[in-house]
Amino acid sequence: MSPTSVPANAPAKLHRPTVEQSAGLRRQARSRSLGRSIVFHVATVVLTVVILYPAVWMLMSAFKPTHDIVGNVSLVPHDASLANFAKALGGIGGVSFWTFFTNSLVLAVGSVVGITISCSVSAYAFARIDFPGRNVFFVLMIGTLLLPFHVVIIPQYIVFNRLGLVDTFVPLLLGKFLAAEAFFVFLMVQFMRNLPRELDEAARIDGAGHVRIFASIMLPLMKPALVSSSIFAFIWSWNDFFGPLLYLKKPDLYSLPIALRMFVDQTSVSDYGAQMAMAVLALVPVMLFFFVFQRYLVEGVATQGLKG
Amino acid sequence: MKRPVLSAAAAAAALTLGLAACGGSSDAPGTTGSAAGDDAPVTLTFTWWGNDDRAERYNQAIDLFEEQNPHITIQGQFQDFSNYWTARATEAAGRSLPDVMQFDSAYLREYAGNSHLLDLGPYVESGAIDLANFDEGLVAAGSLNDVQVAIPTSTNTLAMFVNPDVLAATGVEFPDDGYTWEDLNRFVQDVSDADVPTDDGYKIYGSGDYVATFWFFLQHLVQQGTEPFTDDGGLNFDEDDVVDWLNLTADLRAADAVYPIARALALAPLGGFTVNEVASEQSWDNFLAGYSADSGKDNLEIRPIPAGPDGTSNFFRPSMLLASGANTDHPEAAARFIDFLLTDPEVGAIFGTSKGVPADSGQRAAVDAEDGSVDAAVIAYEELVAGTGTVAPPIPVKGFGTIEATWKSLGEELSYKTITPEQFAQQWFAEAELAVR
Amino acid sequence: MTLTAAPPTAGPSTPPVRTRRHKGSEVRAGYAFLTPWLLGFVLLTAGPMIASLYLAFTDYNLFAPPQWVGLDNFRMLFQDPNYLKAWQVTGIYVLFGTPVKLASALAVAMLLNARHRGQGFYRSAFYLPSLVGASVSIAIVWKAMFIDNGIVDRMQQAVGIEGGGWVGDPSRTMPMLVLLTVWQFGAPMVIFLAGLKQVPLELYEAASVDGAGPVRKFWRITLPMLSPVLFFNLLLETIHAFQIFASAFIISNGTGGPARSTLFYTLYLYFRGFQDFRMGYASAMAWVLVLVVGGITAFFFRSSRLWVHYSGEGK
Repeated sequence: MSPTSVPANAPAKLHRPTVEQSAGLRRQARSRSLGRSIVFHVATVVLTVVILYPAVWMLMSAFKPTHDIVGNVSLVPHDASLANFAKALGGIGGVSFWTFFTNSLVLAVGSVVGITISCSVSAYAFARIDFPGRNVFFVLMIGTLLLPFHVVIIPQYIVFNRLGLVDTFVPLLLGKFLAAEAFFVFLMVQFMRNLPRELDEAARIDGAGHVRIFASIMLPLMKPALVSSSIFAFIWSWNDFFGPLLYLKKPDLYSLPIALRMFVDQTSVSDYGAQMAMAVLALVPVMLFFFVFQRYLVEGVATQGLKG
Repeated sequence: MKRPVLSAAAAAAALTLGLAACGGSSDAPGTTGSAAGDDAPVTLTFTWWGNDDRAERYNQAIDLFEEQNPHITIQGQFQDFSNYWTARATEAAGRSLPDVMQFDSAYLREYAGNSHLLDLGPYVESGAIDLANFDEGLVAAGSLNDVQVAIPTSTNTLAMFVNPDVLAATGVEFPDDGYTWEDLNRFVQDVSDADVPTDDGYKIYGSGDYVATFWFFLQHLVQQGTEPFTDDGGLNFDEDDVVDWLNLTADLRAADAVYPIARALALAPLGGFTVNEVASEQSWDNFLAGYSADSGKDNLEIRPIPAGPDGTSNFFRPSMLLASGANTDHPEAAARFIDFLLTDPEVGAIFGTSKGVPADSGQRAAVDAEDGSVDAAVIAYEELVAGTGTVAPPIPVKGFGTIEATWKSLGEELSYKTITPEQFAQQWFAEAELAVR
Repeated sequence: MTLTAAPPTAGPSTPPVRTRRHKGSEVRAGYAFLTPWLLGFVLLTAGPMIASLYLAFTDYNLFAPPQWVGLDNFRMLFQDPNYLKAWQVTGIYVLFGTPVKLASALAVAMLLNARHRGQGFYRSAFYLPSLVGASVSIAIVWKAMFIDNGIVDRMQQAVGIEGGGWVGDPSRTMPMLVLLTVWQFGAPMVIFLAGLKQVPLELYEAASVDGAGPVRKFWRITLPMLSPVLFFNLLLETIHAFQIFASAFIISNGTGGPARSTLFYTLYLYFRGFQDFRMGYASAMAWVLVLVVGGITAFFFRSSRLWVHYSGEGK
């Protein structure tokens, strides 16, 4: 967006402030600024407390015995204990917690690998190679972002079922290796468009083909986009519920969300302590990624909106 | 450019549909079986429905089995009744049903009809599953079109349970044996009018809204002399019958005299009766064990159900069965586990009558029925019922499980007062027509 | 767009030619790089779409071959009380949840934009729910918070509202789920914040001099300058709202209850397609949804000409 353009319905005349007006404005601004500052901080702190309360409550409740959880507004545990975690880690149906964890990990890492390779390659084609049909395909790709997934899951399930691939990880990973996630392709395309073409051209003059340009020039430059994508891909795969619900049947293949649901099904209804503990454990990697990589996450999201 | 893509997509679609059309016969990979010799380590998946009490008992039985068969590991999993069947349905589609599963006659036709269940016949014949101490008629209840797709574990019949402590608090008396449905309704209204709270401050009720359970409706039909299902698997009743039944408790619902549905759902998988807020509940007689464990009471009473014009017209049915998924990789091990659960006397002692009265006479003998115990009460009840004469059980039609579940969810809506009995009947029949087809 | 460079040996009198004829090697390279996406598109998107369109006119239960039934599925759909209820539930959720979520996102973005200090921290803090909000873990927590005698129940009683859990009350499960989605306002907020940063301050200052108050500034400057971002968020959040599944599934314990109050479209489709295995019926449902969402998307795009202001060069 060019900074010098003006919206059609902005005030008709722009006056340049006079020196006195500026000084006056500044004085007013300063005295208001203290008041504003206080209001700002109070508002944001209150908001933060309200927003983060559920997450903190979940964490604290995992350390409390169940009877202390349900109606208890106060966060601090009276008799903090690790009993809930012991129960959650005990596994369900003869399958250990670590099996579920590993399954989720395999799926998530697989997703990251698949997406990094397939989406970067596709993005390169869209952003850097001119070939007939490119624009049409690009529009189609964006279209898939707006397409409700319901219309493809049934035939996909039928095919995987007939091929005997239900109850394996294949249906959950195949799409990742075939760039079926338009969000990441789009992200990478936007990023690449901002990279200067001089490097490409210099390399081309040196006789490099597309493969070389992609591998030696683009990929290294794309690291921020790749990192953002990887983190999102990991987290989305980790939290995915519908896919595993559909395709993972035997308990020893369950990913954490499915295992969590089975755990809730099987624990006595009032054993919230154990449920909270398991919920917390299931979210640990996501929280870790968030704390370490928040900058990448937030900026990845922010850049989306910039080109509209 | 675009055209090759379009044709490719069309080709992919055609391939998908072709695969879909290739009928559904079991390309079950498991039929090659475990030829790997008797002692190769094997893991069997085993599922059941039930509460914590049943889970405990199963875990005991599983431990016992694993001791006796060190090379077999049992991976047990359980859900509540409704979730159990949705889980099995998705497994069936993916041909990954458990190696051994607790089964209900309501779903037998559907699963057997789609070839999901292993034929246990060869194992019965060879004696791997030893049914020598079984009643032949009962074994037949698990056989469809001459294929033994499942074997009953036990039998049960309907009963009325009363919580004397809760009742005593209200000062109302339960009607004497031989009471009718109208008597029951009057009792419920009386308890509600008494307006007595429990120690925790929740109001005590006489009963939940019992019209919401499909089997009670069927029992009521049988009492009126109507066979619920025709010989060719259709429904032998109509919307009016349903509406008449639902209206039995219409006044109670209108007066809010039945246990509030919101609280009942919030307590799930427990219920009003098992948290000691409801004085009576109808259910299968074998539920006494589970109810006693959940409620913490050892003095729950088991009584006859309300009587119709010709008495209670109880029937005995297989309370549950054991089956094996046709896709199993370990049929021999599965058969061994099934045989263990069906015939081992220790298992009889572990479960008592909690799953029903055991079908195997050896297990029946092993049930520790000392005076005053839950098992003694159930056995005594069944003797009482047998003494007053029973009728043949209705055989569940195809899709029974689905229509039973639909009845229950519509029953919830009725309790929430979001639909009328007429709408209930209409919507239920619409589903039933599709399910029973 | 790459220019075809003039060969260096050409004389100065030969101007560089801008040609639309693509070099063979470019075409090959293009398709080579695009192969994974093309495969994915054909096998996992376009192919299935066509297949499900066909299935929508059949009766198919996965075990027997599909039977053609023409428009029967669609006819039954519109007489199916569960289906109509699913539209009602989903419709209310989208109509209430999305605007409230976006309004909250915008409001908080504007709040944060006022000061630079701590912005990074707050931005991340508010973003966290977006990351975990749709997960099973949070659905479980939400449920635990809204049950009888739970946190929310205690708080509402303290304020004088009638007690009772929200989870078991058909009239309160929707507000509970709307709150859950509004809680996840962080993602659209981050995007709004980025958009707000791009609004030049001179515009505001000039408006101040003209005597415009904050409200006028908002309507005349902020909103128009943000309109592309608003459009983007609106479109994506609306489509996203139609696809809610995990939260509804877990909170209703896989039933869509109580009394079908959480019977969202996706949930009902899942029941019909993957529990009852009436896949023709479910495919019909899927296509109705595609048409509706497509219509809404087209409407948004059309209407965007009226209210979305792109400054400077176009996309």
